[in-house]
Amino acid sequence: MSIFNGFASLLQGDYLHAFLGGMALTLELFVISAVLAFLLACVLMAIRLVPGRATDVLVSAYVEYHRNVPSLVQLFVWYFGVPQLLPASTQNLINDNGGEVIFAIIALTLNAAAYVSEDLRSGFRSLPSGQTEASRALGLGYVQTLRKVLIPQAIWASAPSLVNQTLGLFKTTALAMAIGTAELMYITRQIEGETYMTFQTFAVASLFYLLGSWAIMLCGSLLQQRNQSRMAR
Amino acid sequence: MKRALFALCGLMASGVVLADGLQDIKDRGALRCATLTDSVPLGYQDPATREIVGLDVDLCKALAQQLGVKVELQGVAVSARIPTLISGRADVVAAALGYTKARAEQIEFSSAYYQVPIKVLVKGDSNIKTFDDFTDKRISAIKSSTPELYARQQITQAKVVGFEDAPSAFLALQQGKVQGMAMTEPAAIRFHVRSENMHFLDQALHYEPNCIGIKKGELALTAAVDKALADMEASGELQALWDKWYGEGSEFKLAREKKLTPLTDFQ
Repeated sequence: MSIFNGFASLLQGDYLHAFLGGMALTLELFVISAVLAFLLACVLMAIRLVPGRATDVLVSAYVEYHRNVPSLVQLFVWYFGVPQLLPASTQNLINDNGGEVIFAIIALTLNAAAYVSEDLRSGFRSLPSGQTEASRALGLGYVQTLRKVLIPQAIWASAPSLVNQTLGLFKTTALAMAIGTAELMYITRQIEGETYMTFQTFAVASLFYLLGSWAIMLCGSLLQQRNQSRMAR
Repeated sequence: MKRALFALCGLMASGVVLADGLQDIKDRGALRCATLTDSVPLGYQDPATREIVGLDVDLCKALAQQLGVKVELQGVAVSARIPTLISGRADVVAAALGYTKARAEQIEFSSAYYQVPIKVLVKGDSNIKTFDDFTDKRISAIKSSTPELYARQQITQAKVVGFEDAPSAFLALQQGKVQGMAMTEPAAIRFHVRSENMHFLDQALHYEPNCIGIKKGELALTAAVDKALADMEASGELQALWDKWYGEGSEFKLAREKKLTPLTDFQ
């Protein structure tokens, strides 16, 4: 018996079907949380830029919680903790409509947003302060200055670390299996339990994560190249 | 790269052809036996002595005695059981290995030295009486466990949700995220006795045959383990093991309904 045996039986019929389903859900978790996290991070950063101590404390408390408490615990809090505060009828409604996926997306989004907002903020701080003064002098309002001048530049300045966070989020989706979300790692463990083909099942999952990560890195560097050539013009 | 791959294939092939695990154990004078370390009563840390104790630990010791060698105990996590065997880190694994046909393609199984019923726990105030009542309901189980497998196969009208461990699966039941929990009876009993208003459905999903795992192709070792188990059944040693860990004196109070059963009975 060799380790290479068994791949054929894993990659057909019911097992293949299950693997594809897991991959689809992993991608769904990843794409939805990545988009939502990015939008939320922009809002968080904008709030933090508003002068005033209260908003600063609020956002930094949010960031500290999500960076310092293990992601797994955050998932448990959302899945087992928060619903307890809701009325029973709402709980039932959520349970009947795929609570595992909904709470996984919420937890992943909030977690990733904390990291991304910090990256955006450091990108922001790398901008010379003359930018703000110049755009205000040109007659742009506060929000316009942010939206048209500062945030676009901050995003590009923090692009390398944003790619890192995106990679991190892609792999963190695997934690969602702990609350019964049937994403790729969940399916992998399930098929492993059924067949005991430990090496082969984990190899299939690893390959998928590897290819996915490469695709993310490729997208990141292509975007950055395009931006650089646009800036050079 | 190619050469390394060839060498790897060769190594794996030769491992099966040349190795005689039984002879290795005798030459070494020790049986390397892997058990779980976090599962009551199979293998867990005794809070008083800090040692790993349990049914499987005692079984390892008895098995080594039967083979006339010393025992070397090892701890193993659930998902590391098969790699532990394949890589040869342990000679045998006694760690809640439930026999199924598909699994037997990867490792050798001994005779089933104990069997436990897989039951479904429900809340007392629910109107679920039989498996048929689970239409469009949800059932929790430990992920990649046999109860999860049998629940999916036999209660097809329900959605089975796998959780990381038993406490999470039980919490989901308590919070009403699922309407039933499929688990081996001894594992579920511990939750049952610690909470009010829960009861088991009478129907059992399956009787889970638990076996000792041995590397694929180690037929001599498998035969030796089977013989040792048969001798232990004949001498009453297996019954005594059960009585000690699952019987009246334990918190489970389970009767041993099935004696040592050869694998051929399940095939």
